[in-house]
Amino acid sequence: MARFLRPESFSAATEDLSLLPFNFERAGANQYLVANMVGDFVRLSEEELNRLVDLQVRPGDGLYEKAYAAHLITGTNQKAQRQLLAARLRSRMSFLQQTTPLHIFVVTLRCEHSCPYCQVSRQSTDRSRFDMSEQTAMRALDIAFASPTARIKIEFQGGEPLLNFPLIRKIVAAAKQRSGKKLDFVIASNLALLDDAVLDFCKENNVLLSTSLDGPADLHNKNRPRPGANSHELAIAGIRRAREILGPDKVGALMTTTEASLDRVDEIIDEYLEMGLDGIFLRPLSPFGFAIKTKQFAKYDAQKWLAFYERGLRRVLEINRQGTPFREFYAALLLTRMLSDRPIGYVDLRSPAGAGLGALVYNYDGSIFASDEGRMLAETGDDAFRLGHVEHDSYNSLILSDKLIGAISSSLTQCAPECSTCVYESHCGADPVYHYATQGDALGIKPLSAFCARQKGIMGLLLDILENSPEDAAIMRRWAAA
Amino acid sequence: MPPAAKLPAASPVEVTVDFDSSIQSLSALDAAAYRLIGTATCQVDRAGDRYVCRLVSSTNPQKGAVLSSNELKERFLNLVADENLRARVAEKTEGVRNVILALAFGALAANQNDAG
Amino acid sequence: MTLRLYGTASRSAGFSSDEARSVLRLRSVDSVAERHAADFALARTPDDIRRAVEADWSSILVVSDGAIDLPGTFAGRLVTVPPIYDYLAEGDVIGFDHASRKFRTLYRRNSAHNSLLVTERCNNYCLMCSQPPKDVDDRWILGEIKESLPLIDQATRALTFTGGETLSDWEDFIAVLTECRDRLPATAIQVLTNGRAFANSRIVDAWKDIGHPALMAAIPVYASVDHVHDHVVQAKGAFDETILGILKLKDRGQRVEIRVVMHALTAPIIEDTGRWIARNLPFVDHVALMGLENTGFAIANDAMLWMDPVDYGDGLARAVDHLSAAGVNVSVYNLPKCVLPKSVWPHALQSISDWKNGFVEECDRCDEKNTCSGFFTTGRPRFSRAVRAITSQRDKLTALAD
Repeated sequence: MARFLRPESFSAATEDLSLLPFNFERAGANQYLVANMVGDFVRLSEEELNRLVDLQVRPGDGLYEKAYAAHLITGTNQKAQRQLLAARLRSRMSFLQQTTPLHIFVVTLRCEHSCPYCQVSRQSTDRSRFDMSEQTAMRALDIAFASPTARIKIEFQGGEPLLNFPLIRKIVAAAKQRSGKKLDFVIASNLALLDDAVLDFCKENNVLLSTSLDGPADLHNKNRPRPGANSHELAIAGIRRAREILGPDKVGALMTTTEASLDRVDEIIDEYLEMGLDGIFLRPLSPFGFAIKTKQFAKYDAQKWLAFYERGLRRVLEINRQGTPFREFYAALLLTRMLSDRPIGYVDLRSPAGAGLGALVYNYDGSIFASDEGRMLAETGDDAFRLGHVEHDSYNSLILSDKLIGAISSSLTQCAPECSTCVYESHCGADPVYHYATQGDALGIKPLSAFCARQKGIMGLLLDILENSPEDAAIMRRWAAA
Repeated sequence: MPPAAKLPAASPVEVTVDFDSSIQSLSALDAAAYRLIGTATCQVDRAGDRYVCRLVSSTNPQKGAVLSSNELKERFLNLVADENLRARVAEKTEGVRNVILALAFGALAANQNDAG
Repeated sequence: MTLRLYGTASRSAGFSSDEARSVLRLRSVDSVAERHAADFALARTPDDIRRAVEADWSSILVVSDGAIDLPGTFAGRLVTVPPIYDYLAEGDVIGFDHASRKFRTLYRRNSAHNSLLVTERCNNYCLMCSQPPKDVDDRWILGEIKESLPLIDQATRALTFTGGETLSDWEDFIAVLTECRDRLPATAIQVLTNGRAFANSRIVDAWKDIGHPALMAAIPVYASVDHVHDHVVQAKGAFDETILGILKLKDRGQRVEIRVVMHALTAPIIEDTGRWIARNLPFVDHVALMGLENTGFAIANDAMLWMDPVDYGDGLARAVDHLSAAGVNVSVYNLPKCVLPKSVWPHALQSISDWKNGFVEECDRCDEKNTCSGFFTTGRPRFSRAVRAITSQRDKLTALAD
């Protein structure tokens, strides 16, 4: 029987070690947050970081083990970690293989609400001016079906899309007639006009409904005025009825955050809970009404919104601890990025950006935009994200247009100043439309970007909870796998 | 009624830091200055064999309170130190980074059946 | 009580000297199934023997300590084994060495835990190895297995191949697996391997080309750090090859289970290891976290390796949480429920092979005995200080203590 060797026999000599790529950020006195090439986080002291860079690490000293498991160091002649990082990176980027999964049809601009934050709707009964024509719709469908991905989602928006319900019927029928793709349908509606005909149609064709629920009645109605001042009442009734007839997993609600929302996150969450919804998406303030009207991006207070978000997230976690499963959807997205390598094509959280590659918007008049915000920008006269028109463009000409390629390539986080060395880069995204609208160019100066401040704030908060609150961490880990 | 008295505008804080240009890279100074945007402006000049950085704090900072002269200097020096470290790490890892990218997406990706 | 799966026949006759070994399948005397050349009538009493001769059996295996009375006209093959092998039954397959009369029970039809040893050679040398490696030329074993396959009941649910390192002669072994695919198409195959061979693309491709419908490679990973794993398996470079092997297997769509045996070197870091697997290899088909079998090298290295499972329960629970939160199928093997945190119970399986599985007296009054893994009977069993019957009374006491 051969003799057993001691641990020392299996240690690598320092000269056999190599550093692997990583980013870092100061995170307080004598502490650094470090992230490897696929975004695994680890905390090091200043001394540890310097020893790491100089490869002054030795098996058994604790730092070696921490760094090796986090893929910050490897054996120069080893292979597995390089292959592992490559495989994980490939998985994280594989969302690029699905272009373009989302197609938004703005079937009408008409709407009976007059929400102050909306850029696009028109109070009008003139269908010919503000409704999408059947011809435009069919041409748009041609383009949607030309995208390479095997499964597309067609989302109907407006104005209030139910004001042009006959066209929705036609588009769904025509899409189903065509072969070659799996189809999902969503109608984004205020539900004030929901009736049995619409519900029957949705049930028969497996159409999902998405609506706005900004919070309790006074908050919601203040945000969303309509004749009769009963937007909230109708939304609630619509959600209940739709869930009953279509099923609870077929109806979703989104909130729009306004200044008035920022102090009332508990009530907003309670409203969602009461409706039996399975989670909430705590969205950022849209800069479009604000910035476009006042051009004051510089005054944007990300910290106030972050306080709103943190309070909301902790309330959601408390609800879970008390036994009710309920998710915050943005945290769930970020956690999926941070705790797994599953590809996420969510348009605002990816680089290369989701403009065009992730979604195309077909406006009522046939013009085509790289995103919904790009459409809003055009309402103020800025065509920066108008890619073309259904009459003379094809999928290829839109996706390969100089405009789109320019916006996407100039906003890549992998190449951008500060972004490319940011510790959160693996989990973040490019938002060229946002930065163009608030700063005038697709890349933006990140130290001035509220998007950047928000992302860093949320991720810092999630890391803090994952590291310091075991019960909440266990809850959040399950959001990442769902 | 006399006009309400206006508070005098706070005078911007200014501080100058200089570096030996034979050991401090300009790109690191630029990167540090970039991260300081919104908190202070930074103008880099060359004087002989030194880089001279003139920092002027913003009167209307994007995040946090107005920094004192010492705080601004410390902040900038920390940023420069971080950028220098980033440059060192990038240099040491550029080769293996390219290998991993090639394994993931490039020339080596298709050829999983190599001897390795 | 441990079943003896090997031994020496007290008597044998009629075996040719041209061959060194034979493979035998046992049949009941009254069996009307078509007789294979390797079939032996199984007799326990003189009456059985008489009926076997009348039924024209040309090969008979007798389990008895008494004198055997065979008619003088009997010219066939005979093996006699002592009564300790009374477990032998219809359908079982035995490997028999003519010269030494040594035999091994290769397969038991009524067992759910059939394990075929492929070789005793191994390129690792694990500190806790339950089958210590030998540097011998035992390639004849694969030949014996090949001979056995046609004799194994096609209704067998599962077979495990073990060793040594099963891929030591990978070409011949893969040929055996191909035979399994053809002869036992409904039998799931599990191969215990250190996985290092799969770092070689040629070998993974050959594995993939078997095209087996239900084949799983079960591969141990002991840490998230190279030198820790390498020390446990006593081979420098093992971690790198094993992880690369796992990646290549999954790249080609092959099924992989990761096993972690827990002892004093691996259990204190089990949470880190579990979290690392959840983050880096979440696509594996199963993870098994296993209690230690105190046999083989584990006895020699007892001082270095023994850790009371109740002392690593917390870390184990956290590892299970990380893995299951990441959507990984995770089970805990070989640990009785009384030493496990309750959160782990849903993952604890009755995993110990029947022939080496037992309970202690304390277990007689335990509510959970029917779903508990019990203990190993092999080697020198060491028991946790937490072994105690689980009764509703105990739960009440625990609740009071909380």
